[in-house]
Amino acid sequence: MSMVELTFLMLSGVAVFSALLAVSTTQVVHAALWLVLTLGAIAGCYLLIGAEFIAWVQVLIYIGAVVVLLLFALMLTRAPTGPDSATTTSNRNVAAAVSVLVAGGLAAIMVSGFAGERLAPPRGGVGSAASIGDAIFGTWVLPFEILSLVLLAALVGAIVLTRRGPERDNGAPGDVPERAQH
Amino acid sequence: MTALTGAVLAQNALSAADLPQIGAPAIEYGTLSPVLAITATALIGVLVEAGAPRRARFGLQSAVAIVGILAALAATVWVSIHDLGKVSFEGTDLLARGKTVAEGALVVDGPTVFLWGLLLVFALVSMLMFAERGLEGGLSGFTGQAAVAPGGAGEREATMAGIEHTEIFPLAMFALLGMMVFPASNDLLTMFVALEVLSLPLYLLCGLARRRRLLSQEAAVKYFLLGAFSSAFFLYGIALVYGYSGSFTLAAIDTAVSNQIAGQNLLLAGMALISVGLLFKVSAVPFQAWTPDVYQGAPTAVTAFMAAGTKVAAFGALLRVFFVGFGGAQWDWRPLMMIVAVLTMVVGAVVLIRQTDVKRMLAYSAIAHSGFILTAFAGAYEGSAGTATITSVSAVMFYLAVYGFSTIGAFAIATLVRDGGGEVGHLARWAGLGRESPVLAGVFALFMLSFAGIPLTAGFMGKWTVFSAAWSGYAWPLVVAGVLTSAVAAYFYVRVIVLMFFADPEGDGPTVAVPSVMTSAVIAVTAAVTIVLGIVPGPVLDLAQNAGTFVR
Amino acid sequence: MSLVWPLLLSCALFGIGLYGVLARRNAILMLIGVELMLNAVNLNLVAFDAWWGDALRSGQSLTLFMIAVAAAEIGLGLAIVLGLFRATGSADVDLAVVDTDEQADGAR
Repeated sequence: MSMVELTFLMLSGVAVFSALLAVSTTQVVHAALWLVLTLGAIAGCYLLIGAEFIAWVQVLIYIGAVVVLLLFALMLTRAPTGPDSATTTSNRNVAAAVSVLVAGGLAAIMVSGFAGERLAPPRGGVGSAASIGDAIFGTWVLPFEILSLVLLAALVGAIVLTRRGPERDNGAPGDVPERAQH
Repeated sequence: MTALTGAVLAQNALSAADLPQIGAPAIEYGTLSPVLAITATALIGVLVEAGAPRRARFGLQSAVAIVGILAALAATVWVSIHDLGKVSFEGTDLLARGKTVAEGALVVDGPTVFLWGLLLVFALVSMLMFAERGLEGGLSGFTGQAAVAPGGAGEREATMAGIEHTEIFPLAMFALLGMMVFPASNDLLTMFVALEVLSLPLYLLCGLARRRRLLSQEAAVKYFLLGAFSSAFFLYGIALVYGYSGSFTLAAIDTAVSNQIAGQNLLLAGMALISVGLLFKVSAVPFQAWTPDVYQGAPTAVTAFMAAGTKVAAFGALLRVFFVGFGGAQWDWRPLMMIVAVLTMVVGAVVLIRQTDVKRMLAYSAIAHSGFILTAFAGAYEGSAGTATITSVSAVMFYLAVYGFSTIGAFAIATLVRDGGGEVGHLARWAGLGRESPVLAGVFALFMLSFAGIPLTAGFMGKWTVFSAAWSGYAWPLVVAGVLTSAVAAYFYVRVIVLMFFADPEGDGPTVAVPSVMTSAVIAVTAAVTIVLGIVPGPVLDLAQNAGTFVR
Repeated sequence: MSLVWPLLLSCALFGIGLYGVLARRNAILMLIGVELMLNAVNLNLVAFDAWWGDALRSGQSLTLFMIAVAAAEIGLGLAIVLGLFRATGSADVDLAVVDTDEQADGAR
């Protein structure tokens, strides 16, 4: 077992451990923080496979943007740090059984299909920004352009849901349901 | 493997070292013009939102959307003449006509152009419903201020000030763009991106109802979460198929499947997971759970747009992926799809009988109709040269046309039956509608008869085509199940008609709002199409048959 | 390195994410589960891309697309969930279908 393989397995262990905590902790903010650790470990895995550009995008966008958004959402919708008993439903056992079955089935398929196959040691250029740039602005140019429209649509959508009209004063910080009573 | 990797690396190193030599990608702007027209419409809509004065915006936005769709329709006709060649009306043309464009990302062939036409017409009709302002005292059926709490002072202020969300039009155009790209995708990557453009704006639009906003917001959250969940399965399936075949392109997947290059378990799991994502969008059982809640909670105009448009786009994509990409493995997926088809028909029809709400009723009706369409899909009959039988592709496309018009019409009528609190959802309160407004109740009865598949309505011709395609594909158990469930569902539809015409109204009975020319036009057009397609289905059926098969 | 390690890690993460979606009731915690599932897909794609030596970088390209879409989806999802929270004071959702008369009545 090579050094690379050993490092990969250690990172995998970190990723699985923190992912388990991310889906089971009752402290809602901790869930997002464990997610950060999982995503970071996965970025390390990308580096070991040779996908360096993806690894850095993972760190910048996933950890930098997505998790921060999740943290915002968690803090806006709940008391920031308190434990939450309602986070898990009573049919937890069913969920666990289903998940173990799905993961086990997929793992069996993977092992039966790819046991013994080996990845070539990463060499320069495979996962570089230049080679991916070539592919995206050549073959995948149309989906790439459409992707920009996904982002625009999400932007417009988020504005629709959160912006208030200019006719209103900006005095009230939050239009909470209590205001309905008077 | 290592030699291959080495060669690829060398090739790649060369291109990376030699950047200026990369040519610009080839984009066939002419062939893509319908898609580009809708993109331009959406972008113009965003600019109007930024620049136009508030009072003028609603009219301007609806005009932009309608003109844009008309332009795209004209472009679609042009593409069908220019790129597909002469259309012969002999009904025996099984040729695949068309070409791949934009570096192989999209394929513009007969089915693509037919579905584009269908989507644009449905979108045009739905935009008229979006633009209806006669029912809420001069305001649209969408909430004025999505950012304020339901029932709060902010909402009343917004209503008093006549504030409206006009962004709904560009958002609908983004969704329409996704619907058009989805069934035209030639590879799974483009299909995924199209799925997201189609889904994100719809998640949002579902939450914008003016009345019963809480129900609407819950529908949006539910649709969003389940949609994200199902697209995770779809993506895992894509990853497995990519591992199996080494490519996203449907033609390359087809080659790999036909040559059985790797373990079949991998392929089976990949196909199953991809079908989860697609069957979710067509609301087939067991992925139908979102449908009733979302159809009920969403603003009715959005429900109509979604019910017709998403179904067209998702069935187009389902057929293309499974017929083109997995055609070589059809004996693996067809039995599974047959089970899904039967389950969908049975659950749709049986639960339909218990419904007491008009929009939930139409949602279960949508599920049952997905089942009928799936019979033709699971039959997988690709025709044989020289005979004028109906292939699965043309049967599905014809059924989508029939179903889309009837369902938009039915939802349009549902917006008109109102009381003080908005639309009257409860079916029991529709009793006596036949006395209150015989014409409206009569048209609704027509749609019900069409859903039930009574002869001389479009629904009968639709059922006949899908069952005949399933029969030709030796899926006769599906035809038997389809006829039986049709009979069960017909009982319910007839009961609704009896309720409207022969039951005594409950209390004051419902009132029928007088719509503006927009909704009236929608109802008139959809009713006319439902009758015409039932009596002279020939021209549209010919178009569907002449669309031929998919280009591989 | 053996190809099965990244693939097995991906299966494990997919299962954990699935559990997260099924067991949680808070919409945002469910989204964390979905993100784990998407990361499982990405890991698969990157591993298969390296294994096939794909000249088009298909797997890595889709990974990039998915990361971008995930960012858009989370942004929009957050706005939708916040809308519900403003109305009800809770971000909990029940994904089960309740098809009874009470629900139809409650809908009015």
